[in-house]
Amino acid sequence: MLKGYLAIVLHAHLPYVRHPEFDDFLEEDWLFEAITETYIPIIKVLAGLERDKVEYKLTISLSPTLMSMLMDPHLQYKYLKHLDKLIELSAKEIDRTKWEEAFNKLAHMYHTLFWEARHIFVDEYKMNLVNAFKHFQETGHLEVITCCATHGYLPLMEVERKASVRAQVRVGADLYQKVFGKRPAGIWLPECGFNPGDDEVIKKEGIRYFLVDTHGILFGTPRPRFGVFSAYLTKNGVGVYGRDTESSKAVWSAVEGYPGDHNYREFYRDIGFDLDYDYIRPYINADGVRINTGIKYYKITGAGGHKEPYVPETARARAADQAGNFMFNREKQAEHLLGQMGDRLPVIVAPYDAELFGHWWFEGPQWIDFLMRKIRYDQKTIALTTPGEYLKIYKKYQVLTPAASSWGWKGYSEVWLEGSNDWVYRHLHKMVERMVEAANNNRNAKGLLCRTLNQMARELLLAQSSDWAFIMKTGSHVPYAVERFREHAEHFTELYEQVKQGSLDEEYVKWLEDKYSIFHDIDYSVYSTQ
Amino acid sequence: MAQTPSRTRENRQFRFPQGYGDNKIVLLARDPWWVFTYWEIRKANEEEAVRKIEASGDSIAKSVLRVYDVTDVSFNGKNARSYFDIELRGLATNWYINVGSPDRAWIVDIGIVTKKGSFYPLARSNMVKTPRFGMSDQLDAEWMVPEDEYWKMFGLSGGFGVGKGSLEVREMIKKRLEEQISSGGISSAASFYRKPGERKFWLVVNCELIVYGATEPDAKLTVQGKKIDLRKDGTFTLRFALPDGKQVIPVEATSKDGIDSRRITPIVSRKTE
Repeated sequence: MLKGYLAIVLHAHLPYVRHPEFDDFLEEDWLFEAITETYIPIIKVLAGLERDKVEYKLTISLSPTLMSMLMDPHLQYKYLKHLDKLIELSAKEIDRTKWEEAFNKLAHMYHTLFWEARHIFVDEYKMNLVNAFKHFQETGHLEVITCCATHGYLPLMEVERKASVRAQVRVGADLYQKVFGKRPAGIWLPECGFNPGDDEVIKKEGIRYFLVDTHGILFGTPRPRFGVFSAYLTKNGVGVYGRDTESSKAVWSAVEGYPGDHNYREFYRDIGFDLDYDYIRPYINADGVRINTGIKYYKITGAGGHKEPYVPETARARAADQAGNFMFNREKQAEHLLGQMGDRLPVIVAPYDAELFGHWWFEGPQWIDFLMRKIRYDQKTIALTTPGEYLKIYKKYQVLTPAASSWGWKGYSEVWLEGSNDWVYRHLHKMVERMVEAANNNRNAKGLLCRTLNQMARELLLAQSSDWAFIMKTGSHVPYAVERFREHAEHFTELYEQVKQGSLDEEYVKWLEDKYSIFHDIDYSVYSTQ
Repeated sequence: MAQTPSRTRENRQFRFPQGYGDNKIVLLARDPWWVFTYWEIRKANEEEAVRKIEASGDSIAKSVLRVYDVTDVSFNGKNARSYFDIELRGLATNWYINVGSPDRAWIVDIGIVTKKGSFYPLARSNMVKTPRFGMSDQLDAEWMVPEDEYWKMFGLSGGFGVGKGSLEVREMIKKRLEEQISSGGISSAASFYRKPGERKFWLVVNCELIVYGATEPDAKLTVQGKKIDLRKDGTFTLRFALPDGKQVIPVEATSKDGIDSRRITPIVSRKTE
């Protein structure tokens, strides 16, 4: 007997990094690694489920910056080059490891994986992986949702809040609509950062639901009747879901989390760092800095430095066991909730960063694959759903205002507002203020003025990425984050002065339009408050 | 970072301004207990305040942030529920303020307190509300259940089990939020939960073997029975990870017409002590 629903939500996002001025740019590897290790493996899982006619439900949010990069011809071309080098390296590794059987098998595994990735990327999706997600959405099994335009962290947009939030939401939803042909059902708020009132903007943009962390619902007003186990509606009639703690812990927790299993692949032993420098030199960064190649031969093994060779078959069996364990625990959870839920069945919402699966947790995509299949065939207690579908089941949902919250460390804004990064808000707020002023003073602009105002909006949005503040806090790649923030502020300010003084510079605008090449259809009037 | 993006306008090395010439103070809520504020005060505004103070026969005692609790009031400068002052020292242009109370509304003035105790505000902030922390007391008649039912759902949602009291659950939620079972952020920039172990002194030694040679460019060559492609000039290079033990490596070349052949067999052994 059906006792509850499970909604797995993956949030896929990377900041917009694109540098045509360099053949090889370190931070572009974030995208390339994620494509090979996360997006393509997930696509492979979904294709397998489709081939085997498995009924499944999964939700993925694709951030507009990630979508834009996946659709960008320059980055597609660069990714292919990157992948071809990996194919070459893995072929060399097959020869080099000839006398070490355990590693030789793994070299063959990587070589096969990279060739498969190439086939999927080039032959099946013609270099544009967004088409894959579009296809799976059309099969009715995948719910693709959107995110804010550049993953701007909404709670700290205190100055001109409405215009700021509206631009982040609308530009994201518009890109989604252009690609998927309809308004997105839901939106992933960057870092689950919610500020009461932002739901009004979400509603106006035609989006039906968003997600918050557990305490966003638990501390909501009035008191929630169903904990996090039902959808709620905000006063504006937008659906909202809270994250389930138990299922989050199972995957995220350092102590209990699945990815820490000793049979799983060790992330921190990569041949980019382990092998002889001269040998690996052509496959690391152009400036000679060692980087992860993605070829990793060891399993976690245990604490301490000693590592043993990775055994894919054993790891796969563990992924299957853990998927079974996860399913079993959700069944128990649903049974436990039975009788507490009045007229409805509970929904357990389990959101994760997509890049956890495959990139960090190599076996993560297999785990998803097993989970989808097991839930379909091995039990009848729970069923998969999406937040969009659960909202259609019942006639009424309790009305509630979620509490301000995020899913960052300590649950609020401290990650993005602390000693290392608090200096950015002074400038971000000024930029928004100026953007609103320029939009109000130049309504219905045409021609170059319009292009200049649109470019201002792009620079502002790019400066607002939560990633820059996040990187400043976490400490690696800091100079890049600071430079990007500085760069967008510079261009924004220059354009603002040009508009104010009426001295437009077409060549400059053209250069900027090409440089990052994002949000081609943006309309600066989204910032107008009149 | 590998490279710095090139810019065509190198001559305009942009720096963030010290100020924008504004006279304002902005307030942000960081969490249920802390707010953050930054400000910029025009010199002229400050001087005018000083003139006023002196004209009234008073003098400056200190610069302060005056933090008003304006929960449920429409603030007019005088009707705050309570306020406290933070004395500013040095050249601060921002401040983290411990307001200590969730679910309250706050406004901050920056200003001057005089020796006689008067306050001359220089700028007033926006209002922010600290997030609510704890279960709401407001009940929804339409969705009413007995008190312990609410707590049961609350405990199940937070993964705490059931039957916990309010204080206890709040502490548990705080603890959970600090465990960071949350966003890993950018794929490779972020530190995942499994950081590489703290290492002290260490040494790693590995061996590889290079086997190289040359023959007629059109000859056929095998190494350990496996066909090897020659470079255009007939040379070849092979690289092997060399484990402990003995490796017998027969290298065999055969001329294009199949008539001549040569065989050379290096034997290599590695022993690690």
